[in-house]
Amino acid sequence: MKFTLRIWRQRGPNERGGFVTYPVDDVSSDMSFLEMLDALNQRLIVAGEDPVAFEHDCREGICGSCSLVIDGVPHGPDRGVTTCQLYMRRFVDGATITIEPWRAKAFPIIKDLVVDRRALDRIMQAGGYISVNTGGAVDANTLLIGKEEAETAMDAASCIGCGACVAACKNASAMLFVAAKVSHLALLPQGKPERTRRVMAMVRAMEREGFGSCGNQYECEAVCPKQISVRFIALLNREYLRASLTETRLSTRSDSSHGESY
Amino acid sequence: MRQAAQLVDVARSKLMASLAGLVLVGFVIVHMLGNLQVFEGSDAINGYASVLRDMPIFLWTARAGLLTAVVVHVGLTVRLALRNRQGRPVPYTLRRYRAASVASRTMALTGSLLLMFIVFHLLHLTVGIIDPAAPHGMDAQGRMDVYGKIIHAFRNPLYVGIYVGGQLVLGLHLSHAVSSVFQTWGIAHAALDRLFKLAGPGVALFVVLGNLAIIFAVFLGWVRT
Ligand code: HEM
Ligand code: FES
Repeated sequence: MKFTLRIWRQRGPNERGGFVTYPVDDVSSDMSFLEMLDALNQRLIVAGEDPVAFEHDCREGICGSCSLVIDGVPHGPDRGVTTCQLYMRRFVDGATITIEPWRAKAFPIIKDLVVDRRALDRIMQAGGYISVNTGGAVDANTLLIGKEEAETAMDAASCIGCGACVAACKNASAMLFVAAKVSHLALLPQGKPERTRRVMAMVRAMEREGFGSCGNQYECEAVCPKQISVRFIALLNREYLRASLTETRLSTRSDSSHGESY
Repeated sequence: MRQAAQLVDVARSKLMASLAGLVLVGFVIVHMLGNLQVFEGSDAINGYASVLRDMPIFLWTARAGLLTAVVVHVGLTVRLALRNRQGRPVPYTLRRYRAASVASRTMALTGSLLLMFIVFHLLHLTVGIIDPAAPHGMDAQGRMDVYGKIIHAFRNPLYVGIYVGGQLVLGLHLSHAVSSVFQTWGIAHAALDRLFKLAGPGVALFVVLGNLAIIFAVFLGWVRT
């Protein structure tokens, strides 16, 4: 197969970027999208040119590293897959394919198609964890969890933190990401003790990082490689409301069990 | 990267904007239903208007409440929209939407047009300074002749055009807004979600069709004068 690639090239964070067109041929329909880019890079390296920087790691849809906006859609035309799981047979032979990085103020470009997604890590650091005392592991089945809750929590936990939700959102909002993390923990008994503090801290961290607010347009759900439902955003909104109502009471007591202030 | 200037309380602003929006939704529904009394003739609608005016405390409380709702809603949504615009300083060259409706993507535009329409509408039919030829008199019972004003306004194709435009914009805004409210307040349910999604277009259609019925009935001369 043959393609014309229009790829966003940018030398560094503060450089001006622009599209560069690369024709590629000899592409096998069984190649993944990233393998096709590998082949292009091999050619660029042999020619002494700078290869296209793009992020990848597991290449099996579980790590959340790969992150390309392909023809205007994060992770490309297939639903429920990451860029690394997208195959060239999905494209029409001879097509022009436009490749851009995730674009958001909170995701500054490092180089070419690689963006800095540490803003999501900082949101996790603000509250996306549970505090447990060290010691022997708790016996299995001492904490019983209903099937419904376990399944729903697992659906939320399938978020791989790729940031496609942010990339797709008109407002560059990270609501679906935060919703998945907050819901996953709020639904399980291990996460419940800290749920009030967690949702407030994570929502504030999200706002601090410069992500936009949710306009309830659901573009995030439509591009999520794990097809995480926007019903988790409703759950996040409920958690936030609940926390806002209880927080005023909590703040009169001292609620800084972790010495963190928010 | 992290700028203190951005520390607007986004989540809370959104909730307050939504609450104020809900007050306005309630108002546009009641306003439309009240105005349908045009179809019962001049006595009904002039009587309705005079009942409202005979309760100045109620009338001015309602007006103050609505004004507050508009100020809160517009102030907060404009601030949110401006902040959201900063969320992506470099736009995509190519953008394809899968789920976001046209109405949802044009909330700031339809909102701004709606604000202009509301100001125009108040100056036109409440204050009465847009159209000097409009009747400002009383009816036979000495009540303000609201009926006469409506008939005069919608016999004129210019006003019909402006009001029909206003209704289209209102319809677009409402069709996303009302569905959106459920999500904003965390009201989601496996079986009822479809109903919540339909609520926006449903309410929008209800309000817009009611208002358009009045406008066109007058324009086409189906309302007795
Ligand atoms: C009759 C008048 C109006 C009604 C009934 C109304 C109602 C609503 C409602 C219910 C929402 C949804 C809030 C949510 O997502 O929960 C909304 C959103 C919005 N409204 Fe209005 N509105 C009106 C006028 C305006 C005006 C005059 C403007 C402004 C300039 C405006 C701008 C917006 C914007 C930008 C949003 C989107 C907010 C967001 O999703 O973040 N609206 N409106
Ligand atoms: S490279 Fe790990 S998800 Fe794509």
